[in-house]
Amino acid sequence: MRLATRKLMDRAFTAVGLAAIAFMALALLAILVPIFSRGVGAYVFRGTVEHRRQMLDLFERGDPGAVAAEVAEVQAARQPVFAALRAYRAEQAAAIDPAIEAAARLADREDLLGRRIQRAVDRLRAMEDFEQRIELLGRIEHMMREQGGPEARADVDLILRVTTELEEQAEQYRDLVQRLRSLLGPLPGDEERILPRFRYGQARWDRALVKQHDVLYVESWDYSDPSGMGRQVFTPRRALFEDTALVEIFDHVEHRLEAMLNPRWTFYGRFLTDSSVDAHFFGGIGPEALGTFYLALGAMLFAVPLGIIAAIYFAEYAKPGRVVSLLRSCVSTLAGVPSIVFGLFGLSFFLITIRVSPGKSVLAGALTLGLLVLPTVIRASEEAILAVPRAYKEASMAMGASRWRTVWTVILPAALPGILTGVVISMGRAAGETAPIIFTAAVSVGHGLRIWEVFTHPTPALSWGIYNLATEHEAVDEIRHVQFGMVTTLVAIVLLLNLAAIALRARVSKKLRG
Amino acid sequence: MNGPAKPVGPDGASLILSSGARLRRKLAAWTGQGMLFLVTCVAALAVLFIFYFIARDAVPFFTARGFREFFTETSWYPSRVPGQFGAGAIFVGSALVTAGAVLLAVPLGVLAAVSLSDVLPFGVRQVVKPVIEILAAIPSVAYGFFALVVFAPLLQDAGSRVLTMAWWVCAGPALLLAVLVLGDLAAGWMGIASGRRALRWTVTALLGAGAALVLLAGARFLHGLSIATGTNALNVSVILGIMALPTVVSVSEDALQAAGRELREGSYALGATRAETVVRTVFPAASSGILAAAMLGIMRALGETMVVWMASGNAAQIPRPIYNVLMPVRTLTATIAGDMGEADHVTGSERYHVLFAMGLCLLAFCFASNLVAEWVVARQRRKLGGE
Repeated sequence: MRLATRKLMDRAFTAVGLAAIAFMALALLAILVPIFSRGVGAYVFRGTVEHRRQMLDLFERGDPGAVAAEVAEVQAARQPVFAALRAYRAEQAAAIDPAIEAAARLADREDLLGRRIQRAVDRLRAMEDFEQRIELLGRIEHMMREQGGPEARADVDLILRVTTELEEQAEQYRDLVQRLRSLLGPLPGDEERILPRFRYGQARWDRALVKQHDVLYVESWDYSDPSGMGRQVFTPRRALFEDTALVEIFDHVEHRLEAMLNPRWTFYGRFLTDSSVDAHFFGGIGPEALGTFYLALGAMLFAVPLGIIAAIYFAEYAKPGRVVSLLRSCVSTLAGVPSIVFGLFGLSFFLITIRVSPGKSVLAGALTLGLLVLPTVIRASEEAILAVPRAYKEASMAMGASRWRTVWTVILPAALPGILTGVVISMGRAAGETAPIIFTAAVSVGHGLRIWEVFTHPTPALSWGIYNLATEHEAVDEIRHVQFGMVTTLVAIVLLLNLAAIALRARVSKKLRG
Repeated sequence: MNGPAKPVGPDGASLILSSGARLRRKLAAWTGQGMLFLVTCVAALAVLFIFYFIARDAVPFFTARGFREFFTETSWYPSRVPGQFGAGAIFVGSALVTAGAVLLAVPLGVLAAVSLSDVLPFGVRQVVKPVIEILAAIPSVAYGFFALVVFAPLLQDAGSRVLTMAWWVCAGPALLLAVLVLGDLAAGWMGIASGRRALRWTVTALLGAGAALVLLAGARFLHGLSIATGTNALNVSVILGIMALPTVVSVSEDALQAAGRELREGSYALGATRAETVVRTVFPAASSGILAAAMLGIMRALGETMVVWMASGNAAQIPRPIYNVLMPVRTLTATIAGDMGEADHVTGSERYHVLFAMGLCLLAFCFASNLVAEWVVARQRRKLGGE
């Protein structure tokens, strides 16, 4: 092989190695950037007037007077929409009249049928409700088509034509109103609904823009290409209501939405502590964050004492031999057990066999998580203890201190920052784990637990909440911002813990080097 | 005359302990040490506890249904009456996803470890290490969320373009290098003297034409792929590979470091380039450590739950053909996590015990690979220490 080729291969080898490192860095960026950039949106976003109304109604936050003034302002801006809806309904009511007149003509006969139709027409004239009138007209049409005879045919057809047309329009009208409701909240004349998601319009401007698009365009699927998948097609909804009073709505919604919702940049820091409202449609992630805190803390309360004692034993007391090497390989096996198996074990042992609590509870979850992070704690503590210079120990022994006293007063304090590093990293791990708490501690919906409830109650947790909201929630797309907010919060907690550990370790290694 | 003066402390008390005090001290030390040992045993023997309690709930399934159906058949209908518990497809799914992850993580991880141990200067290494640590620290559910919400739609909508781009980026330089090296080698075999440049370049150009054809054919094939769903084995494999990378990198870097300076210096002294030194000298010396790294990477990928549960599609089927990573699959961990919710209420049923049987399989596999990894690392340490 020529020297040039060998050099080329050498360079290529180096390049591939560097590319592998670059890949890792890029992967990290590719994962963190979308998560953080969208997750920040849960905390900082353009909140509409609906957001401020909710804050006032649900959490009693904000200035009632200012909100009332703002509501009055946006109501004024919404008036054209409401007026157009009213005008459209009046148009539709008027459009029934030809059919009613036709029915009256049909009633003009001297038999039993005529009298029955006449009664129906009288009722029709007295009626207000649009849909009931259409229905009654349908009955008249049906009756006359069967029994009316050939001379009634023209009027019957007229009634049919009018009612069919009106029914179609009513269908489209209902669809439009539904979308307007979801954009702006309840319209005048709507009955009161209980769930908050029906009581408020869009609280976030980005969601409002999506809903605006829903109002302006009709979505349909084009399956004309038999070999490919269906294609989404949007057609302007306006075309359905050409020549009616409703046409004005579309321009208004398209251009005056800001006036109708009054978006303003909002910093919603209480997202982290607020409880969720109506299955995370509104509100924050307080119970989840608190649950994660309890679980991680509980796991550490269990794992740290046990782990440090085991580390002291391994580092200071254990003499090399069969028993100790067996114990060591047990610990490293424990580190390799898949997290879901810890979950199974927690269910089978803590909950079913020794029954630490009547059902799932924070306690059972924390014990399971503690077991999961135990090997990490042992390993980190042992390394920290071994890193303490021998001279410390020898000096202490030379002063006549016993071994135990040496460990307790000299070695542990010197190793403490190193141990703390391991503990902090393990805490991050415990906070992020999901699989072990699925069967032992996590529930999807719940309130923030008080401290004494941790022994008996299950809790929502960030990690489980992310899974649950991203896969099992009834309206996954509507609450993306909450999901991203949760992921960002969890990742930020874990990363902060790790950065703290990295900083701590840098200080320790500087100190030990002198 | 008095005897030699007893050493006396500042408060006038004797510093030499009486025999009673010495005994007490010894006893205290003994009990203390005993307590330490006991606590350590509790911590260490937890793994045996885990084994026992998983096995205890797995055994009823095997005694009731035997082994054959569970391991060899593929119809997984646990909720039917009577239930069908053929987990073959689920095992295949786990294996497929793990294999994909390992194919990504092991080569990349080992190469990154080489960079860290042999190429990069100290300062850069201090920057790269935290990147790896952060990659390892991100919670698995965040990876799963990313796979489901960001990566899956990308694969579904622009999958063929992404794959084509990846092909160009990876295969382009690789093939170029292969052409240049093979051209040189081929010229050597054919006995073309190194002075005859034109002839040598002709050989290389011929190879290059072949490589270009391969490149284009590959790109065409990938461009024509239609990806029905983004939640498939490929998605999960890539994410699991990224998750397994930190483990592979740190373990194999330790192994490469442990191979020692003398070995490398000897190789350099013989005139080898860095690549030749690493491949021919350091790799063989560190082979067992790299094997251990691969084992740990496998364990990490196989035992991961949230990513596969969220983004693998959860279809209990064997992909057709079996290497078709664009089809949704289902893994052991995801099955345990997903089915326990429904089996919970009927504790004691086969449906419940079969999940423990799966857990036992996972546990047994991880136990075995852990033992192997530990054994090879210990052997390497003995070998390197003994020389």
